[in-house]
Amino acid sequence: MVTPLTAQGTQLSAEQVGYLSAGPGRAAETALARLIDGGLVRVSRDGLVTAVHQNNHGATTGVEARILSYARTPVRFDTIVQSTAHSTEMTQLHQHLLDQGLMQHPRRRNPAWGFSLLLAAVLLLLGFVTPVLFLGVPIAVGFGLWQRGRKAVTRAGKEALLHVAATDRVHNVAVYGFCGKVNRRPVAEDFGLSQSIVKMLPLNQRRKRRSSSDGGGCGVSGGCGSSSCSSSSSCSSSSGSSCGGGGGSCGGGGGS
Amino acid sequence: MAGIADLGVGIGWRSEIDLTVERLPGVDFVEVVAENLHIGHLPESVTLLLERGIPVLPHAVSLSLGGADPVDLNRVEHLGKVAEAVGAPMVSDHVCFVRAGGLDSGHLMPVPRTKDALDVLVANVKLAQENLPVPLALENVAALLEWPDGELSEGQFLAELVERTGCWLLVDVANLYANARNIGTDPERFLDEIPLERLAYVHVAGGEHHGDVYHDTHAHAVLPEVLGVLDELCSRVRPPGVLLERDDNYPSDTEIASELAAIRAVVDKHGPAQWLN
Repeated sequence: MVTPLTAQGTQLSAEQVGYLSAGPGRAAETALARLIDGGLVRVSRDGLVTAVHQNNHGATTGVEARILSYARTPVRFDTIVQSTAHSTEMTQLHQHLLDQGLMQHPRRRNPAWGFSLLLAAVLLLLGFVTPVLFLGVPIAVGFGLWQRGRKAVTRAGKEALLHVAATDRVHNVAVYGFCGKVNRRPVAEDFGLSQSIVKMLPLNQRRKRRSSSDGGGCGVSGGCGSSSCSSSSSCSSSSGSSCGGGGGSCGGGGGS
Repeated sequence: MAGIADLGVGIGWRSEIDLTVERLPGVDFVEVVAENLHIGHLPESVTLLLERGIPVLPHAVSLSLGGADPVDLNRVEHLGKVAEAVGAPMVSDHVCFVRAGGLDSGHLMPVPRTKDALDVLVANVKLAQENLPVPLALENVAALLEWPDGELSEGQFLAELVERTGCWLLVDVANLYANARNIGTDPERFLDEIPLERLAYVHVAGGEHHGDVYHDTHAHAVLPEVLGVLDELCSRVRPPGVLLERDDNYPSDTEIASELAAIRAVVDKHGPAQWLN
């Protein structure tokens, strides 16, 4: 696949695409997918993940090395994804995305943000009667916008994801997750993994799956979704509407 | 040979590598450890292999047929039920004992090669055969010690066992190499002495040297020396089947496939390949 470039010309790795698409859980899935793809870990039918070598051989990133360390003895598929999502290495990946300006610390949306804007409108109207009230309009607008919160993925991050085209099975995981589908075919099948294995993943993580054939090809959701976000120490301060929702960069996906 | 069909090249099925076994090219049959299977709840992978027409052979490790304790017929019955559940043409265990006086050794212990010990073994094997629905094959073990006052060579011991019980032989060439290395068994003499017409199939496994001792670990690559013993066997008879055993430190699919290919190459060297690929 063509590795997408950020506005600064930085190449996005599959792990980074996974993180930007759906958070640390997806990034962990992506790193695991790369290791399976490289024959460096083995997954059994009962969902146990085992490293082929005992010395982290073949790891190309810190997150991959973390997975290989976990998998020196058999580990459940869901456990290794969750543990990796909480790992120091994942925090470092998040920090890297922050440093690159692809992510930002999100703010939770306050449900009262609309009220502030409504207040601004009222002050505007009353200002024609009592001009001193015009002074309150920018304050109310500013406060309302601040309360509206912000998503974890920046505009630059969303733009970078727009260039992502999932054309191999590892990037399919980054974009759609193991539970996702590409052209109605489960991504997990590309790895010989049964649905019983991927269903080990927490329900909220599975719900983040995307399909190349749904939503008019909306393949990449913006920002880390609520579930993955809440599982990440680096992202745990954010949740709810300011972090989830995604869709802002819809259209970057597309099936392979 | 009568009774045992050609099996080809196979691999020991283990749950850790079930998906690997399913997708590996050139797997003509598999062997399962009978004690690890539950009747009525076969692993999905084993069922899938059976549906593909891959023969599944139960291999036991706990009958302790060489022991002085009475044979545990519950274990024999379980082995027979596993054979029936997978439609196996035969089952196997080892020429060894694994428990005595209420203690489990945790290892396959070699049997003293005396006439008295042979009598005990023969009686136990006959009892097991009477309670099994399919033929029984018995495997030579790797021994780190030899009991004193042996009256027969290992080959003679096995030959007499076959003659008196009608059992089949499962020759483990890695065990034979281990015994050659560790206790001075002569592999060529062994192969001269055993009735090769009663050969059911062959085991190949990996191990490693620790100083002068060879450990049959089943967790390392197959050594060229072990393939050399297989080569020697194949120069005398075309084995109905050859199976790779791996029980730990599972390498990549590619490496396992390479080991299977190496085994097949040794066998094919001695005659036209007649096995399914």
